[in-house]
Amino acid sequence: MEDLIRASLDHCIKCTICETVCPVAQVTPLFPGPKYEGPQAERFRLPSGSADASVDYCSGCGLCTQVCPQGVKIAEINSRARAHFKAQKGVSVRDRILARPGLTGRLGTPVAPLANRVMANGTARRLMEKAVGVHHAAPVPVYAGHSFQRWARHHERHASPRLDGRSVVYFHGCSVNWFEPDLGRMVVAVLEHNGVEVKMPRQDCCGLPLQSNGLFDAARRALGRLARDLSAGSAGHAVVASSTSCGVMLKREGREILGLDDDETLRAVGARTFDVCEYLLDLHGQGLLDTGFRPLPLTVIYHAACQQRGHSMGTPALELLRLVPELEVIRSEADCCGMAGTYGLKKEKYDIGMAVGERLFEQVRRVGPDAVACDGETCRWQITKATGRASVHPVELLFRAYGLEL
Amino acid sequence: MSGEGEIVVIGVGLAGLVAALRLAEGGRRVRVLAKGVGSTHLSGATVDVLGYAPFRVRSPAATLPEFAVANPHHPYALMGTAVVDDAVTWLKGRLSNPRYVGDLRRNFLLPTALGVAKPTAVAPQTMAVGDLTHGGCFVIVGLPGLKDFYPALVAGNLGSTVGIAGEAIEARAVDVDLTLDGRVDVGPLAYARRLDDPAFRAQLAARLHGRLGADDMVGLPAVLGLTDAEQAWEELEARLERPVFEIPTLPPSVPGVRLYGALSGALHRLGVSVTIGGEVLGAETHGGRVTGVHTETANGVRFHAAAGVVLATGGWAAGGLEMDSHWVVREPVLGLPVTGIPGGGRRFLPGYFDHHPLASTGVAVEGSLRPVDGDGRVVFTNVRVAGATLAGAEPWKEKSGDGLSLSTGYHAAMSMLAEED
Amino acid sequence: MESIETEVLVVGGGATGLGVARDAAMRGFATVLVERKDLAEGTTGRYHGLLHSGGRYAVKDPRAARECAAENAILRRVAADSIEDTGGLFVTTPWDDVTFGDRFLAGCADTGVGVEEIDVADALRREPAVNAGIRRAFLVADASMDAWKLVWACARSAEQHGARILTYRRVVEVLRAADTVAGVVVVDSRSDEEMTIHARMTVNATGAWAGQLAALAGCRPVEVVPGKGIMIAMNHRIVNTVVNRCTMPSDGDIIVPIRTVSVVGTTDSPVADPDQLEVTQAEVDHMLDEGEKLVPGFRHARALRVWAGARPLFGARPPGDDDTRDITRAHALIDHAERDGIGGFVTITGGKATTFRLMAEETVDLVCRALDAGGPRPCRTAVEALPDSEPGAYYSVGSRLARREAHLLDDQLVCECELVSRQTLEEAVERRPTANLDDVRRALRLGMGPCQGGFCTYRATGIFHRLERLDQVTANTALLDFLQERWKGVHPILYGDQLRQARLDDWIYQGLMDVEHLPAVAAAAIGSVA
Repeated sequence: MEDLIRASLDHCIKCTICETVCPVAQVTPLFPGPKYEGPQAERFRLPSGSADASVDYCSGCGLCTQVCPQGVKIAEINSRARAHFKAQKGVSVRDRILARPGLTGRLGTPVAPLANRVMANGTARRLMEKAVGVHHAAPVPVYAGHSFQRWARHHERHASPRLDGRSVVYFHGCSVNWFEPDLGRMVVAVLEHNGVEVKMPRQDCCGLPLQSNGLFDAARRALGRLARDLSAGSAGHAVVASSTSCGVMLKREGREILGLDDDETLRAVGARTFDVCEYLLDLHGQGLLDTGFRPLPLTVIYHAACQQRGHSMGTPALELLRLVPELEVIRSEADCCGMAGTYGLKKEKYDIGMAVGERLFEQVRRVGPDAVACDGETCRWQITKATGRASVHPVELLFRAYGLEL
Repeated sequence: MSGEGEIVVIGVGLAGLVAALRLAEGGRRVRVLAKGVGSTHLSGATVDVLGYAPFRVRSPAATLPEFAVANPHHPYALMGTAVVDDAVTWLKGRLSNPRYVGDLRRNFLLPTALGVAKPTAVAPQTMAVGDLTHGGCFVIVGLPGLKDFYPALVAGNLGSTVGIAGEAIEARAVDVDLTLDGRVDVGPLAYARRLDDPAFRAQLAARLHGRLGADDMVGLPAVLGLTDAEQAWEELEARLERPVFEIPTLPPSVPGVRLYGALSGALHRLGVSVTIGGEVLGAETHGGRVTGVHTETANGVRFHAAAGVVLATGGWAAGGLEMDSHWVVREPVLGLPVTGIPGGGRRFLPGYFDHHPLASTGVAVEGSLRPVDGDGRVVFTNVRVAGATLAGAEPWKEKSGDGLSLSTGYHAAMSMLAEED
Repeated sequence: MESIETEVLVVGGGATGLGVARDAAMRGFATVLVERKDLAEGTTGRYHGLLHSGGRYAVKDPRAARECAAENAILRRVAADSIEDTGGLFVTTPWDDVTFGDRFLAGCADTGVGVEEIDVADALRREPAVNAGIRRAFLVADASMDAWKLVWACARSAEQHGARILTYRRVVEVLRAADTVAGVVVVDSRSDEEMTIHARMTVNATGAWAGQLAALAGCRPVEVVPGKGIMIAMNHRIVNTVVNRCTMPSDGDIIVPIRTVSVVGTTDSPVADPDQLEVTQAEVDHMLDEGEKLVPGFRHARALRVWAGARPLFGARPPGDDDTRDITRAHALIDHAERDGIGGFVTITGGKATTFRLMAEETVDLVCRALDAGGPRPCRTAVEALPDSEPGAYYSVGSRLARREAHLLDDQLVCECELVSRQTLEEAVERRPTANLDDVRRALRLGMGPCQGGFCTYRATGIFHRLERLDQVTANTALLDFLQERWKGVHPILYGDQLRQARLDDWIYQGLMDVEHLPAVAAAAIGSVA
C-alpha cells in the first residue's frame, strides 16, 4: 500500500536492540539514537518531511537495520529523514563537495603533488576547516596522480592473462580510480591469477556520498548512470566491487533508500553484483580458488566495516584470510571506526567520529598488529590516521600471499 | 560459502548461540544465520529453569521430575530433565566474565526491578549476591538520569517481602549524585560502558561512602561494566567493603549483552561464521530432510546447503511464530506444523493474567527436538527446534525462559552430534 | 457531609457537559460540573476524532449536515489548538454506487457543506495509500480533533470564569423539592465521601447515560439508545487526510488520521448498557475488511488498539431495526418542566462532538429562560477562543517532535512512542494534584503508542512513586491497573506486529520483573482481574 521502508516502522516493538549497537548514540547525546529517529519519530512526520535536526547526526552506518530482529528499515528511514532535513535547511557547500568524489578526483589528480601538499599542510587545513567545514585533522585521501582507468585502458590492450572462461566486470569506484589505483590493480591481479577475465568499463560515482549528504536527486542520476555503464559492458557477467560501501549501494541501498525499485537495469545489475571477497569465497566454494598461498607471517586485525555488514553476506574476507598460512587474523572488537563515509570529515562531527572509533583504535594500539585489514576505504584512512598503523584491503593480503607483484 | 556437512543454525538468541557453540565444539562445521540480534539483549541473563509450577519452586532438581509428569508436552518432559543439569553445567564452564553460579538444587530469590523476589537457578555472581532467601539488609542504589530503574520502588517492595523462613528483609533506596556528564536521559548501557572505567567506579564508591550501614548489601542496577564486569564488581565490593549485586533493568539488558558477547566471541574463536541481518526466507527440502536454506542478502536471495538445521528463531515476540490478521498461525521459516492453536477464536481472555488459550502454542517436537506433525510423525529428520518456538511451555509464567532456551539449544546440538557419531 | 450551592449544575464531563459548563460560566452563572470518572472518559474520549465537515450527513440527515458545517467553521476559529487541519476526502470505491456522488454534491449544496470534486489522480497523489480503483473523489473540510485537548481547554476556560469542575463524583441521588429538581447527591469514588450539591438548574449532559439520570430524577423515560461503535487505531498515519467512503453512512467507512495514528471506524449497534461494550472478533474482522477496501494492504498494517464508544442516539428505535444509524445525529434538548412537569432539570443528549458547542449554546439559552436571568445574556462561545487557541493556529502531528527536539539535552523521554517527557509528566501531576496515573496517562497519551506502555508503565510508576504521590500499595495497584487497561484495548486485535509487541511486554513484566508476584495487596488486585 505505501512504500515498504516507511511501512516497516510498524514492525518496531521498541526492543532497544538497535540502540545497543548505534556507534554514534554511544558517544554523544546529540544523537538520540536510531529507534528515536527511525520508527519513533517517523510517526510524527508528514510526507513533506520534518525538520528534526538531530537526525543529521546519524552517520548512516546502517548497523541498526542489520541488527533489528523485526525487520525495521531503521537506517533507511533515518536516511530519508536526513534528506528531508537537508532539503529544508539547504545542503552546505562542504557537503556538496564531499558528495562528489568524482569531481574532486578529476580536479585533484592532474595537480596531485600540489593538492596533496595542501591537504597535508596544517595551516591550509585550518583555513579549509573555517571556509568549508572539513575538520583540519580529519583523514583526507591522497591523490595518486594517475587514475586507475588510465592503467585499465593500458592493461586491457596489453596484458594477456591465462583465463579459464569466466569474466567479471570490475566496479572499482571513485576511491580506487583517484586515490588507490594500486588496490584496483591488485584486485585485477588476484582475479586474473584465478583465471577470471576482468572487464573495466568506464564508470563514475555510484551516488552514495550524494545520498548520504541528502542530495537524493543527484544520487539517483548517478546510480542510474552507473548501472547502465556497468550493464553495457558486462553482458550479464558478475559485477565485482572492492568498495563495500559502493557495492552495497549498487546491490540494495540505492534501490531501497532512493526508491529506484522500478529501475530494471539497476535491479539486474544489483542482483549480480558481488563484493570481491564474497566472489572469491564463492570461487573457493566451487573449488576454483587457488589456495596455494605462501605463508604470510603477519598479525592483522580484521575490521568488518559497517557497510560491509550491510551486505548480509557474513565475513568472506575473514574466511579467505584464514586460508593464508601463518597469517594471524584477529577480529576487531568494534562495530565502527567512526568515519562512516564522509561523516568523520565534517568539522562538527569529527570529534564524534573519533570517539566512535576509539574502541577500535584502542584495540589496534593494544595489539599492535602489522596492519589492519578492512574492506572500506574511508575506514582504512581513518584507522591509519588515528593509529599510525598501516591499513590494507583484505585483497592486498591475498595478493601478497600469492606472491604477486605490481 | 556453503559446503556439504555444514549445520545451519537459524537465530542468535540464547538457544541458537548455545546450539551453535556446542555443535562447533563437537567438531561440526556451523553457520549461524540470523535476521537480527536476538533476545539475549532483552533478557536478565539469569538462567531461570523453573520458578513456578504453579507454586514457587525451591529446588528445580526436586520439582522437575513431577513437573515433567504433570506437563508431558513440555520440552523439559520431552527431552528428559537430566539434560537441563548437563546444559547448565556446560554453560557455566563457558562463562567467566562474569562467572555464573548456582545449580538446580535450589533457586536463588533475586530481586527484580520491581522488587519482587524472582526464583532463578543460575545467575551471574554479580547478581547472585542479592539472594533474598534468608533475608537481610539491602540498600538499593539509583543513578541519576537512568530511566529504566527505580530504586525506591524496588526497596519498597523488598521491604514487604520476607525470606523463605520468614526472615525479615529491610530495604531502603539511596540516590547517588553521579551523572554521566550531566546527562538527564540515559540508558543502562551508557552507564555500563562508563563503569568499565576504574576512575568512574571509584567515583561511584566515593559517592556511596558514609551512606551505607554495616550490614548493608548494596544493590545496583545491572550496569556494572560491559567488557569487564567481573573486575568492576570485585573492585566495587572491595571499595565498599560490602556485598554488591546487580538487578536487571528494563531492556536493553547489560547482562544480556555481556552473555551475547561471551557466547558469540566463543563462536568467532572457533571460526563459526555468524551473519546478522541475513534473514532466512525459506528452505529446500528433499525426502523428509532440509537440504538448505535461502537467505536474504543485499544482492538477492542466496542458498546455503545444509546437512542439518537448528531452528532457534524464538517465539511470538521474535517472529519465530506468526499470526496474521486472518488469525492464521504459522512458523515462517520452515513452515513447520504449529500445535496448540485454540479453536473457537478464543485466543486471549479479557484479564491480563488469565490463562490465555494461545499461551503455549508452538512447534511440537519429539524427544530429540525434531519437529513433529499432528500425528506425532517427524517432519524433517535433520532439523532440531530449540527455544521459544517450542510448544508446551509458558516461559514467562513458569520463569523458565533462559533455562528452556539453554537446555533445548544444548540438547538440539547434542542429539545432532550423537546422530552423526 | 459537605454541601454546596450553585445556580447551574452540569452532570457529565464529556464535551457536551464541559461546553455547557463553560458557556454557563461565561454568561455569569455560578456553575458546578460533576463527572463520575475523569473528564472525557466516556463517549467523548472514545470517538474516532473526526471534526465533521457535514459531508457525512449531506444526503442522509440534512439538519445534522447543516449544523456540522456551521460548527466546523466556528471551531476552526475558537478551538484551532485542538484541531489538525487534515482536510477530508470522500471517495467512490469500486464497491460504491458511482451516482451517489451526484446526490452527495447536491446534498452538500443544499446544506452549505463546502465540497469540491477533484481528479482521482489528484486524490491519489495526495493520498497514495488509498485504493487506486476509486472512481470519484471529493474534497471537504473534515479535520481531526483531539477531544481530550478540547475538553481540557473547555474545563480551564470554565474554571477561569468561576466554574468548579469535580471529577470522580458519581450521582447517587437526584434531590427533588416537590415537582422541581433541586440538585444531586454525589459520592466521591476515591474517598467514598458524599456531597450534596443544591442547584437552581440541573443539566443532564450524560449522553448515552441520560436515560439513567432522567430515571433517577423521576422523569418519564428519555429514549436514548446507546449505539456501540468500535474503532481501531492503526499504528501510524496510513493516510494524512480524513478518508470517507462516498456512500450512505455504513460500517467502517472512514479512516481518520489523528495525532500519530489512523483510526478506522465504525460500527453501530444498539446496546442495553453503555458501560458494557464488548468488542467481538467479528466486529474487528469487519473493520479490517472495510479498511482494506479504502486502503489496500490495510490488513498488513499494524493495529494498535481497539475500543468501543457509546453514542447517545435519541429517538424511538424503529421496530425490528438493529441499525441505529437511521436515528438522527442531530441533538435533542428536553425541557423536563415542559415535558414532564418537573422543573429545574433539562436534558441535552444526542448530537456529536462536532456540534458540542451548539448543543451547549442552546442548552444555556434554555437555562437563561428558565432561570429568568433578568435580561439577555448572549452566548459568546462562537467568538471567544478557548485558552491558548488562536484562529487558524492548528496543531500538527509534528508538534511533539519539535518540542522534544528542543529539549533533547535537558529532559528525559519517558514514553518514547508518544514522546512524553519527564517534565511534562511531572507538570501534569503538579497541575492536577488529585489525578491518578491513569488520568495522566489519558491526558498525555502516555502509553498509547505502539508498545502500549511496555516500557513507560514501569517508568511512570517509578516516577509517580518517587514523587511520593503513590504509596507502595497504590503504586503496585496502579501498575497492575495500567497493565490491565492496556490489555483490555489490545487483546481483541492481537495479531501480526501487535502480538509480537504484547509478547515482548509480557516478557518484560512477567519474565523479567515477575509482576504477578508483587507483594501482598497487589496479589489481590491480580485476583480481581482474573
